[in-house]
Amino acid sequence: MEKEVALSVKNLNVKFNLRGKILHAIRDISLEVYKGESLAIVGESGSGKSVFTKTFIGLLDKNGWIDSGEILYGDKNLAAFKTEKEWLTIRGKEIAMVLQDPMTSLNPLKTIGAQIGEAIEMHRGLKGAACKAAVLEILQDVGITEPERRYKQYPHEFSGGMRQRVVIAIAVACKPKTLICDEPTTALDVTIQAQILDLLKNLKKKYDLTTIYITHDLGVVANVADRIAVMYAGDIVEYGTSEEVFYDPKHPYTWALLSSLPQLGKKGEDLYSIKGTPPNLFNEIHGDAFAPRNPKALKIDFIERPPLFEVTPTHKVRSWLMDPRAPKVEPPEHIKELRKMGGKATWQ
Amino acid sequence: MVKYLLKRFARSILTLVIIISVVFILLRLMPIEGYFQNYEKLTNEQIQAGIHNMGLDKPVLIQLKDFFIQLLHGDLGTSRIYRANVPITEILASKIPISLQLGGIALVISLIIGLPLGSLMARSKGKFWDKFGTAFIVFVQAVPAAVYFLFIQIFGNEWFGFSMLFSKDNYSTWIMPILSMAIGNTAYYAMWIRRYMVDESNKDYVKLAKAKGVSDNKIMMKHVFRNAFVPMIQYLPTSFLNSIVGSIYVESLYSIPGMGGLLVDVVKRQDNTMVQAIVIVFACVGILGLMLGDLLMTLIDPRISLNKKGGAR
Repeated sequence: MEKEVALSVKNLNVKFNLRGKILHAIRDISLEVYKGESLAIVGESGSGKSVFTKTFIGLLDKNGWIDSGEILYGDKNLAAFKTEKEWLTIRGKEIAMVLQDPMTSLNPLKTIGAQIGEAIEMHRGLKGAACKAAVLEILQDVGITEPERRYKQYPHEFSGGMRQRVVIAIAVACKPKTLICDEPTTALDVTIQAQILDLLKNLKKKYDLTTIYITHDLGVVANVADRIAVMYAGDIVEYGTSEEVFYDPKHPYTWALLSSLPQLGKKGEDLYSIKGTPPNLFNEIHGDAFAPRNPKALKIDFIERPPLFEVTPTHKVRSWLMDPRAPKVEPPEHIKELRKMGGKATWQ
Repeated sequence: MVKYLLKRFARSILTLVIIISVVFILLRLMPIEGYFQNYEKLTNEQIQAGIHNMGLDKPVLIQLKDFFIQLLHGDLGTSRIYRANVPITEILASKIPISLQLGGIALVISLIIGLPLGSLMARSKGKFWDKFGTAFIVFVQAVPAAVYFLFIQIFGNEWFGFSMLFSKDNYSTWIMPILSMAIGNTAYYAMWIRRYMVDESNKDYVKLAKAKGVSDNKIMMKHVFRNAFVPMIQYLPTSFLNSIVGSIYVESLYSIPGMGGLLVDVVKRQDNTMVQAIVIVFACVGILGLMLGDLLMTLIDPRISLNKKGGAR
């Protein structure tokens, strides 16, 4: 089955200038996002997952730039966009974004209605009563009761979960085709998290959205994602369908990441943690970025960057372990057990 | 809301009563000369008679009570030296409008120039206009006012032929004093609006507004400027009312018959009743300004809720 590509990233490199030093934040990433799918990008803090998706709507910080590569969206190359005018044809209309912290992402001095209405007025050209009606409809859609009353209220009159609903309402207000959720539940408590994820799932169906989740919470991923891309040090080291990545991971970093889940630990044993720290992206990285933290790293891991090996047509891994000449390195025991469970285990 | 206002008002009145009492009692400690125009030439009997006439021989607290009763009738007393036997309210009524007009115009001008300048600086942070504005602000704040007042005088007089003497009916003489008064405030407003705007534009809601497709210009005007202006609104009433007090230096420079020089004048000439009256006016201005500032904030910032305790957070 051939899926339609919504967004295609080719050899993307993003760099930042920090006090004269160059930081190579995104290192040669290629990835395709399919229409209607739900893709999760996982990785630890600083792995570049936020930066990666920010390039899709041109919201890199001022000291960052796309060094090379393409981001193809329809017939446009977003990586070549220079002017604000070009971006305004994309932002909100085609690709929208939900930010992490709902407590700070709304303007405290404007009513909820005005903030949602602003987007609708701009992109859909609705004014006055028609605009208000559209806002009320969206408020209803995101599960805010008494929209009439809520319309006139200010952000401080909303709880965190409710504010995130408003942020989501703003994002979907202009019927975008793609929705990027940058850690949408990180700032919320667990019960609210589930509600927000449900809401996002429902909206995806209702508005026929392509969704990209950025998260470090594998529980969230298991809940929502069709496909998973694992990022480490500015590179995607492994991607595949949720089942493939969860039950048959191939990259040592993915093994380590899954091993540090409390669910996989044994009672009485210390929780697994990955030794060492992520590499400093100010320095050039040779070979596999994870090698210094991988006790079973091969010699070549320190010399040459591994190519992308194909496990299945949908599952690709950037690790020398997949090379036919590589010695057979077995994944840790509990990772192998995952394979046996195959899809029966619950990831919550 | 009404309850809060009444409370706030009552507290202001209380503060005012305390200030007036303290000033009044302190001024009773001043030498008795301050009540007579030509004290040296008076005989002892005349002085005693005068003191009795003015009620100064009564106990201080009784005097204070009498003074408050006077105040409630809108009477600030009578000048004894500055302009002997003229009611002080009359003197002030001739002075305040001039200072208020000049100060008010200067304030409006400094807002009209300062706010756009500051916004422009915030928008072009680190670039030419920001550096230009910063240079201006640093100059105005670092160089003593006397120096740029002098520049204004020289250039205004040399190039445009503005008169150095203020005249109420000749508006061209208003330009230099107003400019002198406005320049400091312009720098002040530019500096603060720039600072608040830079703060605001780093906030997450600006990112979200960008992500939903609002253009940078609109974000600056509708979100950032507005939110940055709110903390400044609190100080506007004080700034405006302070112009009643006038600018001592500018008023003396152009011989403007305003409030600015008055306090210095009456202190020098030891006119006790005038000093007392002017200090009271200044105190009123300060307290009223703060109260109006708070009031404005409650009207503008929705987060300040006066109806219920704690709000809904």
